[in-house]
Amino acid sequence: MWHHSLRRGVTAVALAGLAGLGLVACGQSSGASGDTIKVGTSLPLTGEFSQPGAAAKQGYEIWEQMVNADGGLLGKDVDLVVKDDASNQNTIVSDYNALISQSKVSLLLGTFSSLLNLPASAVAEKNQMLYVEPAGGSPEMFSRGFKYLFFSQQAVSDQQGIPYAQYIASLPTAQRPKTAAYPTLDDPFAAPVVEGARKALEKAGVKTVYKQTYAIDTKNFDTIAAAIKSAKPDLVFHGAQFEDGVGLTRAMLKAGFTPKTYFETNAPSFGDQYAKGIGAKNTEGVTFAVSYSPEAKTPGNPEFVAAFKKKYGELPAEDAADAYAAGEVLAAAVKGVGSADDQTKLADWLRGHTVQTILGPLKWDKTGAPIGSYLIGQWQNGQARIVLPEAAATDKIKPTWTPAGAQ
Amino acid sequence: MSELIQNLVLGLLLGGVYALAAAGLSLIFGVMRVINIAHGAFLVLAAFITYTLWHAVGLDPLVATVLTMVVVFALGWLTYQALVRPIRTAPMSSTVLLTFGLALVLEGAMGEIWGNSSTAIRPSYADESFTLGAIFIPKAQLYGGLLAIVVLVVLWLVLTKTWLGRAIRAAAANPASAELVGIKVSAVAATVFGLGIAAAGAGGSITGVLYPFVPGSHYQWIARMLAIVVLGGLGSLNGAVLGAVIFGLAEVLTSAYVSPEWATAVPYAIVFAVLLFRPQGLLGTRLREDAVMA
Amino acid sequence: MNTPRRPRSAPGAAGTPKGMNAATKTTDPVRWVGRGLVALAGLLLVCFPLLSDDIYYQNMIILSLVFAVGASGLSIIAGYAGYISLGQGAFIGVGGYTIGVLATKVPGASAWWWVPVAGVVGGLLALVLGLVSLRSRGPSFVIITVAFLFLVQVIAVNWVSLTGGTAGVTLPLPTWDRDILNWPFHYALVAILAVQLLMAWWIRRTKLRMGLIAIREDETKAATIGINLPVEKVIAFVASSFFVGMAGAVYGYYLTFIDPRGMFSILLSVQIVLALLIGGKASLWGPVLGAFIIEPLNEIANNNLGGGNTRLFLFGGLLVAVVIFLPQGILPAIEELIDKARNRGKAGLSGARIGTGGSLASLTASLTIAEREPDAAPRPLLEVNGLTKSFGGFTAVDGASLVVPEGSITGLIGPNGSGKTTLFNLIDDTIRADSGEVRLAGERIDGLPSWSRAHRGLGRTFQITRLFGDLTVLENVVAAQRSFSLAQLGRIAVSGPEASAAEELLEYVGMRAYRDQKARALSYGQQKMVELAQVLMLDPKLILLDEPAGGINPVLIDRMGEMIRELNSYGKTFLIVEHNMPFVLGLCDPVHVLSRGRTMASGTPEEIQADPAVIDAYLGDDFLLDAAADTEPKVSL
Repeated sequence: MWHHSLRRGVTAVALAGLAGLGLVACGQSSGASGDTIKVGTSLPLTGEFSQPGAAAKQGYEIWEQMVNADGGLLGKDVDLVVKDDASNQNTIVSDYNALISQSKVSLLLGTFSSLLNLPASAVAEKNQMLYVEPAGGSPEMFSRGFKYLFFSQQAVSDQQGIPYAQYIASLPTAQRPKTAAYPTLDDPFAAPVVEGARKALEKAGVKTVYKQTYAIDTKNFDTIAAAIKSAKPDLVFHGAQFEDGVGLTRAMLKAGFTPKTYFETNAPSFGDQYAKGIGAKNTEGVTFAVSYSPEAKTPGNPEFVAAFKKKYGELPAEDAADAYAAGEVLAAAVKGVGSADDQTKLADWLRGHTVQTILGPLKWDKTGAPIGSYLIGQWQNGQARIVLPEAAATDKIKPTWTPAGAQ
Repeated sequence: MSELIQNLVLGLLLGGVYALAAAGLSLIFGVMRVINIAHGAFLVLAAFITYTLWHAVGLDPLVATVLTMVVVFALGWLTYQALVRPIRTAPMSSTVLLTFGLALVLEGAMGEIWGNSSTAIRPSYADESFTLGAIFIPKAQLYGGLLAIVVLVVLWLVLTKTWLGRAIRAAAANPASAELVGIKVSAVAATVFGLGIAAAGAGGSITGVLYPFVPGSHYQWIARMLAIVVLGGLGSLNGAVLGAVIFGLAEVLTSAYVSPEWATAVPYAIVFAVLLFRPQGLLGTRLREDAVMA
Repeated sequence: MNTPRRPRSAPGAAGTPKGMNAATKTTDPVRWVGRGLVALAGLLLVCFPLLSDDIYYQNMIILSLVFAVGASGLSIIAGYAGYISLGQGAFIGVGGYTIGVLATKVPGASAWWWVPVAGVVGGLLALVLGLVSLRSRGPSFVIITVAFLFLVQVIAVNWVSLTGGTAGVTLPLPTWDRDILNWPFHYALVAILAVQLLMAWWIRRTKLRMGLIAIREDETKAATIGINLPVEKVIAFVASSFFVGMAGAVYGYYLTFIDPRGMFSILLSVQIVLALLIGGKASLWGPVLGAFIIEPLNEIANNNLGGGNTRLFLFGGLLVAVVIFLPQGILPAIEELIDKARNRGKAGLSGARIGTGGSLASLTASLTIAEREPDAAPRPLLEVNGLTKSFGGFTAVDGASLVVPEGSITGLIGPNGSGKTTLFNLIDDTIRADSGEVRLAGERIDGLPSWSRAHRGLGRTFQITRLFGDLTVLENVVAAQRSFSLAQLGRIAVSGPEASAAEELLEYVGMRAYRDQKARALSYGQQKMVELAQVLMLDPKLILLDEPAGGINPVLIDRMGEMIRELNSYGKTFLIVEHNMPFVLGLCDPVHVLSRGRTMASGTPEEIQADPAVIDAYLGDDFLLDAAADTEPKVSL
């Protein structure tokens, strides 16, 4: 029996070795061809961040499609190379190294989540390549002195809730919430949003009655909902991603507690998925910060939405739109400089110009952080609308959350 | 005060579901000395299967649980015959690694079949609660807890009152002697494995209604289940139940009175503390020290 | 007395035995080929950055090096001590955090200073893990390592003031020339790997390794031959993590971003374990080979086979396949193949007679000879007073007391179930007594652990022999530790004075020809001889023999009696449990009789034989008749 397994083992190893050699031989990609311009990115298509990763892929693909339909970049067709990093840090570092030295891409595009963008942007910076990221708005990103990094949304995360905080502060005393609860996910993106808004709200006299951070893999929100319920806040300002955003909302409904005003990051911007998640009838009045709205009258947006709907049969999610905007920023820099060879020139160009995107005008400071302000959205009549700032609003903001199933 | 009662109620209900999930793991270890790291993956798989039954056919998930249990039992039985049996004489670390590998394969398979986005089973009662004064009892949790009790009682009856149960206990105590008295140990082992996985299947079915899940959720589940089984005593079914209830309460109370942030540290802290101070757990037994490691 | 026939193969012949002994190893051509391959690979590794500036491959190699250091470290506790840890990644993570945190808090200094500090931090953490898991074995240990990994992660997440929480810590980008960007990382890791391998190689040759394998095979037995369990385990833990911490620091600097999710991912630990298993758990180069298979495989899965789920299938499937088909790993498998090919058609040693054995005169270097004054009254060497042990409701030893005079061969007889073996277990602390006293040479030893008792001169054999099956006969004997000191642990075991002392003892018991046989291949009688040599290696004052004449042929029984008398003449004291009455009564004086857990009689053999209570309880009426018929003692000098 011993020799049996030994023989089997050695055979297995020999086969594996041959297979491995074969794969390596097949796997080499043959570098850039003459009349396309390769743009590379690695996205979390599987694993923890697969939801936004998949959305970002859609956005990038639409961008590729539309740029090529419009004559391409510098006359050449864009060839988009997308790798899957499985939401894993080591893999994304390998992926970007591979994109640069194996696939020999001319340009890079960023990925989703600060946790992945941080190591990936380091690879880009080490190789002095432009890195436009559609997500990853944590303040950490911009404190490293990077010169090639740009964030293609309107504001860094700790600023994203400010327009809403300002609105609350502007309400007459009778209508203004007196107390607020701040549950937040321990996440480098969500937490700063809540922090920024809380500081502003406290200055406006809104008392903090609950402030807790919960761990990333928390699934059971009943206890948190019970704790919030007993604090009886008028406003709940929830820092969330998607799953926990849905989870806590459902838990509050189950617990029979609905604050007068409800603000949540991220989750409510997921359109139909959010409505299905918490129940369409419960969405009325949920407010959120968002970088994008399909109805916005920003340049290129109607065409984008139409193309997206045609290809994917649904409205674009925020992450898809952010990805598209990143592509727009990249294309603008290339067109502006007239070539894709000198990445330093591309970075300098972006620092000196404002780019018009489907998110609106974007411009940056010297760290690559955007200078602008976010949109505030709200669910009304089963649809996500834009309510702030008033200039961009499609509807008027309602001050309260009125879920149909409220007990 | 009512807040405390509320939390206790939530903790107990949580414990009931955890008990179901962990009972299978304890059973498998007790009988076969196999630590099945893939237990969490089977639990999530069951959740996906129930989701499909609910989504495609409209079957109420708690009813679908029975079907899921059957499917998952078969899978467990197959897993034993194909993977675990060949290495049953290998040291324990081998089974740990083998089942870990199996967990990864299952995770990949679930990702391929069902995708990686967050899935949840949402029957109509998923967001409703019964109210008892100031306390709210989520319906799904209550039904789940009741179902868990039913399955556990059935399992207990099988183990103590049937011939199969006696065969299982004999095979666990002394496989060589059991063979000598006519018990086909390999068939019994496969059945036990299947039963253990089926219990996890029931647990998965229920938790699919309570929480959203992705293929990668199995890590959190196996971490919890290992902690519960270690706390209760490896191999003791009663211990698993007791451990699960304590565990559920500990998680809820830590979340409520310390902070939600530290609630996830609870399983690991428990494992450490138990293995440090009382390695045999609450209801486990100590082996005679000088027994030769044959 | 019959002289035993001459053995068919003389003890010194190296021609026939399976497996090579130390002499032939250095001239073996296969080994030189192996060494050549390693040298070539090493050269390639060192020169790689000079030859290629492809950052993709540079990255792959850097990651492989990190895995290699991790796996090599793991091989020390897993390969030798048998503790499979799924928490090895924790030390990489801790190393990364050390450099990240210190580089942030002390911005002036170069980050490279913190690499050795990371090693120290890793070692300290391993110390904690070692202390915490001293009582766990097998499955509990694996679980504890997983819990440990996750707990460290949670602490990293929650200790925000130190670690930055989930947002993590960032390091400044390297400031040196872009062309040699990855070089410092590459060479730092190569250097760390080299030192790690050096340490692993050195450990393999020392008594520490024997001790660790002994711990893995049979911890309780290991304690009785003087192996200090907690200290050796902790040393193994620290050795397995120090350089891993350093590698983690270099890795963190390379990434420039350190966060709990990435640094403490369980996938990293799984990959390290996989690398170790594939390469070969207890081999030196196996972990390195495994690491350089796993990381490229990782890349191939990701780039060419389509991403996340495929990677899971690959690693999961590989783990399952390796465990079932190739559990010992590639390198040991190749070694075995070569060994098999080489030894085809040759006869094994078993079946050859045990040698005549040498005389003790040659062993004066290894054993102390106690000079006895013949006229002085013998003082007690071992005093047992009121020892008690209960298991649940059953009292196995119930206040037993006896005295073993120095220089005597004392017998302990009694019916089955009277508690004789349990009493032995209490004397050497295989089981801790509930109450009572044990004194060795006047000193109380009942609170001491087994190894301390062994160091004070107590040796003991087991009724069912307990040798370390995976070690060779010679290694089994060398594993015994006479006293405790770090220097002792560091002594080279495979050659030199320790090995030759062991060989001499093996020669004495007649097992020298078997020195390179794995202990599990021996027959029962052969194992008994080796166990005796093992115990003698301790140079004990008192030797407890548990049924030395049981289950062996009459010639061997005679030999056993001879050896006992000879050792006794050199000053060794014996306490023997036996059922073979002629053997006991012909050899021992005094004799104690144990019944129902307490001493029921003590005296000379004649007194015992005539004692009616003893006859009633144990010997039986007809014993007197047998004894009378058989007046010739069977054993003589």
